[in-house]
Amino acid sequence: MRFRYTMIGAAVSIFIFYLGLILSLFYFVGGKGFWEALLHPNTIFSIRLSLIAATAATFFALMIGLPSAYALSRYQFFGKRVLDTFLEIPMIMSPIALGASLLIFFNTPLGEVIQRKGIFFVFEIPGIVLAQFATIAGLSTRLMKASLDEISPRFEAVARSLGSSSWQAFYKITIPLAWRGLIASIILSWAKALGEFGATVTLAGAMPGKTETMPIAIFTALASTNIDKTIVLILILVVFGLVTLYGVRLTGGKRLYD
Amino acid sequence: MIRVEGLTILFESFKIMDLDIEIQEERFHFLLGPTGSGKTLILESIMGLRKPKKGRIWIGEREVQDLPPEQREISYVPQDLALFPHLKVKDNILYGIKARNFDPKVYEEYVQALIQVMKVDHLLERYPGNLSGGEKKRVALLRALAPKPKLLLLDEPLAGLDPSIKVEIQQLLKLLHSSFHTTTLCVTHDFEEAYVLGDGITICIDGRIEQEGKRDDVFLRPKSRKVAQFLGAKNLYRARVLKKEESLQRWVLGVNGLQFLMPLGRCRDPIEVGGEVDLFIRPEEVMILREGKPLKDSLKRNVFKGEILDIINRGRYHTVYVQTMQGKIPFEISIPNYAFRNLNLSMGKTIKVALREESLWVMS
Repeated sequence: MRFRYTMIGAAVSIFIFYLGLILSLFYFVGGKGFWEALLHPNTIFSIRLSLIAATAATFFALMIGLPSAYALSRYQFFGKRVLDTFLEIPMIMSPIALGASLLIFFNTPLGEVIQRKGIFFVFEIPGIVLAQFATIAGLSTRLMKASLDEISPRFEAVARSLGSSSWQAFYKITIPLAWRGLIASIILSWAKALGEFGATVTLAGAMPGKTETMPIAIFTALASTNIDKTIVLILILVVFGLVTLYGVRLTGGKRLYD
Repeated sequence: MIRVEGLTILFESFKIMDLDIEIQEERFHFLLGPTGSGKTLILESIMGLRKPKKGRIWIGEREVQDLPPEQREISYVPQDLALFPHLKVKDNILYGIKARNFDPKVYEEYVQALIQVMKVDHLLERYPGNLSGGEKKRVALLRALAPKPKLLLLDEPLAGLDPSIKVEIQQLLKLLHSSFHTTTLCVTHDFEEAYVLGDGITICIDGRIEQEGKRDDVFLRPKSRKVAQFLGAKNLYRARVLKKEESLQRWVLGVNGLQFLMPLGRCRDPIEVGGEVDLFIRPEEVMILREGKPLKDSLKRNVFKGEILDIINRGRYHTVYVQTMQGKIPFEISIPNYAFRNLNLSMGKTIKVALREESLWVMS
């Protein structure tokens, strides 16, 4: 019994640790400054910018990540292992190093051409999306691959034999069967993009009302000892986080079929 | 006619070389081989999911080896069935007709007939997850047959089923084939399955075809020791051809000093005096003699005395292990239960056995 209590005790203490952190925020909640900070145009802007940028980054990660995940899950090809390992780069690389690499890239001749002829990334909103994309693309591909791995290729084989092309089999059979896992991957990637700080601040800067996402706003607010604003933003992020985690739980919970 | 010619597959440790299969229209053909001999790879190549190293495939007049699976008109029922869990039974069944953009009205009558034969009308609105093993099998077969394929591929259709369901599905396959005549290629490792259902049989061992032909031809007249062993043959001996008795139209074979008289026709390839051959004695064609009972002339030629070493009750029949007095050759005999009761056999008892002429088969 002692063993059991020790183990459960450890789990409960982690819970208390995080709960304590969140509850301690409420010590400062409720003053006039709190509401002012919440309704300040810059705060509203940060929230909106964060939601839009994270959604865009997730969209791009999905567009490239889903086919990549499928390829990694279904096919054997030359260099597959190297490719698979590279997906972990953003996970082991410090975000600030990733952001710095992006910044350096845009100072190479190729990067400069892209900026001149195409889109401006450095210190601009597209830079936020790119930095977040860089952070989550590998992760989301990995997550989606895991959910595709669970779907037997035999379903597609049968669909093909019954007359579906590989594209049709993909969207009529594989996607519907894997969608819970795919949705969970997307939600987690989105949440990670939303909270991204290091790469974003390095590439896009921290200009209030221009490139200041929520995590960046927390940093600047804290740096200027604006505790009310800091807490407002943290609470909003926490709420978003809890909602997404709940969303993931919902999709991963009971299965509709079998 | 379905023709596979020179199919060669090299995949991981599997090596399938120059496989030829020919299936006449409307026939139920079996590809029989031990578990793990790459049978599924062969199916996947015929279907177009795997690109073989080389080989040509004809479906009727059409050469299909370069076509994608969806254009080959081959339906496939894998061992795990792969019923689409997110679609109702009804939509599973109609999947092929919709995917091929066929007019559902044209197929309505045919699909209804299939549904009746398969007895799945009460399942149409359910999801596959709630069906029993036998029901799932029926739905999977129906789904495969609905778009009227030119060839139906079945991968171990009776593996992993309870014995009662196995019989049910076996009968269903038989009924389906006799009602709808779909040309079928079925891979399995179970000879009994092939024997009950198959018109023709191809035996593939270690990636090579060892024998093909009509089922009785394969079962009763195996080409080689390898085939005989795979078919579960008991009583295989290395024998020497001692002489030819022209007057009796018999070969005289010797095993350990014991002589067997075998009719001339009981071998596929020519044999000659002095040569070594594999002698196969079919356990179910060996008789245990009752004392005092007169013997037919045809049985008198191969009568041996032996001692019972062991008796095993296999439920539906008995297996008696005998060792001959002369030559000390161990023998396995299968006898029906009623015969076993009449014979009053026990371990250690000395008995006389007689070989029917059908029991002998020689492979050179």
